[in-house]
Amino acid sequence: MEADELLVLVAGGDQRAFEELYGLVSGPVFGLVRRVVRDPAQSEEVSQEVLLELWRSAPRFDPGRGSALSWILTLAHRRAVDRVRSARAATEREQREGQRNHQPAFDQVAEEVEAGLERERVRRCIDRLTALQRQSVTLAYYDGYTYREVAERLSLPLGTVKTRMRDGLTRLRECLGGVA
Amino acid sequence: MSVLDRLMGRDLHSLAAPYALDALEGDERRRFERHLKGCDRCAEEVRALTEDAVRLAWSTVAVPPAALRERVLTAVWTTPQEPVARDPSRARGSRQPARARVPWFRPLFAPLATTTAAAALVVAALFAVQATQARDQLDQERAQAREIAHVLAAPDARATAGRDARGRGIGVVASASERRAVVTLSGLGTPPDGRVRQLWLMRPNEKPRSLGLFDGDTPLVADGLNPNATSLAVTVEPSGGSEQPTTSPVVQLALETVGFGE
Repeated sequence: MEADELLVLVAGGDQRAFEELYGLVSGPVFGLVRRVVRDPAQSEEVSQEVLLELWRSAPRFDPGRGSALSWILTLAHRRAVDRVRSARAATEREQREGQRNHQPAFDQVAEEVEAGLERERVRRCIDRLTALQRQSVTLAYYDGYTYREVAERLSLPLGTVKTRMRDGLTRLRECLGGVA
Repeated sequence: MSVLDRLMGRDLHSLAAPYALDALEGDERRRFERHLKGCDRCAEEVRALTEDAVRLAWSTVAVPPAALRERVLTAVWTTPQEPVARDPSRARGSRQPARARVPWFRPLFAPLATTTAAAALVVAALFAVQATQARDQLDQERAQAREIAHVLAAPDARATAGRDARGRGIGVVASASERRAVVTLSGLGTPPDGRVRQLWLMRPNEKPRSLGLFDGDTPLVADGLNPNATSLAVTVEPSGGSEQPTTSPVVQLALETVGFGE
């Protein structure tokens, strides 16, 4: 069954459907959260929150307003970004308090599942963006920076960053074609 | 619409892409969401951009730890869902989605050595039972009381209890070394005609195991508890009990605070 059908069953309290849905979405949810949050223990914690929230708030899902996967991953991304921002705020506080050597060892996460076709396509399309489009989009989506922070990091005016984000996303859409 | 409003509107408009990427700060995010409610064109645009942004997620798929599955599925058993969606047009802006972080089932736990609400709950249930039993059941009761006393006396005996918003409660005194637990229920009333309450032991990646049937308000002594048990659950089953649960649990209680689940 597809995620959309399953989510409708889950909204009706069907626990078996939730188990099946878990099988479909836990990989994408966990992967995305870990990409943003980085810290393995925190990633697991946030993923757990997201998946439980998926169960709890499934009755709020409106199939007329987008796909189930998009809804679920939007939820996961929002939670991951919230977590990484509060962690960053805490780190900044620590640094202000004089612990300047605090530099978390954020390694690129390695053990990912076998290269899916979709993943390769997405990566290829990201590579085809202009440098500024790519940086604007990925600093925000994969690293959880606000567009103001992105502007600061790239030394660009706010308006330019907003435009690059929009152009980047639109170009990604053109490159990836319709819904996969 | 004033010039200022139009300018503001255009300014807010340009936030559609940052919003789709979750790149707005809290206040700005909320302001933009308010704007979205009155701007169908923006809502449509945000929807399209969000679908684009989500595709970025497909380059990050990873295998989640196996333990995550067990934790989530166990939690789902006892977590109620939000009320079914209302008419979306009416609900717009009228109700914040419930974000309550408070778990529905709040466990109270502590070692037995200190008198606790949890232990008191179990003991109170025991007294209630003793007081209402008919005389001819006394021998059986005494035998059971001995078993209960045995669990209570174990050096590692711990108590835990939970009660949901509707006042349905479960209390447990358990000893991991004895692999036994005394389980009491409260606030559940009488099961519907001819049906019974059955106690189940929940373990990771295994089917629920029956620990027996409740007889009215009498505490149930469960033995042979596996050390990896994660929780106890109670379901309503047809007379005589079932091989496997056939309904959702009416109450469930995690066992990690009483020394299980390792």
